[in-house]
Amino acid sequence: MSNEVYAFALKSTLDEIQNACPDVTSNFIFKDGKILAKDKNTEEENATQTINAFDAITERADTLGDVETITIQSAEGKVNITTTNDFYLTTVSSKEADEKYVNTLTRILIPIVIRLSEKIQPASVESEAITIDQPEPEEDDADEATEEAIDAEVPDETADEEIAEAEGNEAYPPEELEEETAATEPEEIEPVEPEIDTGPLLPEPPVTQLIVENLKGFRVPSDTVRVDEEVIQQWSELYGDNKINEVEVEALNGKTIRCKFKQIKNSKDAGKGIVKMPEKIQLTLETQQGELVTVKPIVE
Amino acid sequence: MVKNKQSQETETAIVVDEDEIAVTPEEDQAFKDLSDKLAEIRKDKDVIGYIIRNKTSATIDLDKPEKLVEYAIFSSQVLDSSQEISDQFELGDVENVLIEGKESKALCINIEGNKISIFIEKNADHADIIKQISP
Repeated sequence: MSNEVYAFALKSTLDEIQNACPDVTSNFIFKDGKILAKDKNTEEENATQTINAFDAITERADTLGDVETITIQSAEGKVNITTTNDFYLTTVSSKEADEKYVNTLTRILIPIVIRLSEKIQPASVESEAITIDQPEPEEDDADEATEEAIDAEVPDETADEEIAEAEGNEAYPPEELEEETAATEPEEIEPVEPEIDTGPLLPEPPVTQLIVENLKGFRVPSDTVRVDEEVIQQWSELYGDNKINEVEVEALNGKTIRCKFKQIKNSKDAGKGIVKMPEKIQLTLETQQGELVTVKPIVE
Repeated sequence: MVKNKQSQETETAIVVDEDEIAVTPEEDQAFKDLSDKLAEIRKDKDVIGYIIRNKTSATIDLDKPEKLVEYAIFSSQVLDSSQEISDQFELGDVENVLIEGKESKALCINIEGNKISIFIEKNADHADIIKQISP
């Protein structure tokens, strides 16, 4: 996610706050003296002057420690400047504004958007870097042959991944695995949000619910998940020639990550509605084996 | 031959309008009333200190008198900068400002020209203090 998209996400959130609560007359976000996002009603000049005045206060506030919040109650309204994740959110509201409602909107919504944007941004940057350093190994159709090659002690990255998958499966009893996977077959859900796309019209990306399985072992790419062949086939049928190099995985807690994907090779795992995931991605999503996640293709 | 150095000093005239700084008996009484209220508030263990000033007088009571200048400059800056912010958004006169720091809080109030700053612990109830001090 580029900085522009990041700022766009924040601006949209600020506009929505104002739509939801018309008593919020102005709101903007700044960091290190620079305006990151502002709603449509906020003049840049006003925001800049406010930042300067705020800086003047914080410079003299050694006696209080680092300033976290400033609330100015004036005759005709209120200004609140509060810090969230190193950002400063300024909210100007009229005297009639319901303070609790405004606080609920701003102090919950904005940190969530900031956190989500921060999570997505480093993930995409990281995966780009990895793409340059470690080009994806070509996969051939002869999976079984590759597995045999492992036995023949051929040092191959693909082979190592197969070992990793095998190890991952061994770590969990087969009965337990069957119970979990039987409970939730992969199902299609209505698309959540339309992608911003300037290209030709494409069908909305389907969101598939899958169960997390561990993907362990040496040389397992930490930025790649393994998805069921059936699911990938559905995407291919839906988007034809359009490239799908990445997927967006979302955990139940709302945390999302963009990462590369490959199909699950082990035939016994096919059609079970699972997504095999390295530990690093599980940690980022704060999820674990057995939990549900949604997977959505990123169509280029 | 020694040259005599001549230095020219420019003197800036300070014009004091006595009417501007004069305090009416009502204002003086308001200052005394507020000072009494502050002295009462100060008894609370969560109150670190306070500063009250009007055009002619000031009363200061702080736990750390050595930081008097810091506190005084901060108080003045808060009320001035807050008014600037309030003016930007056409919100009128500032009634009170709460600054929450990592270690403590400051409550700055302007009551009829009396500028009050109360420094309190982070867990102190600032709303209760506003109630006590408000006319």
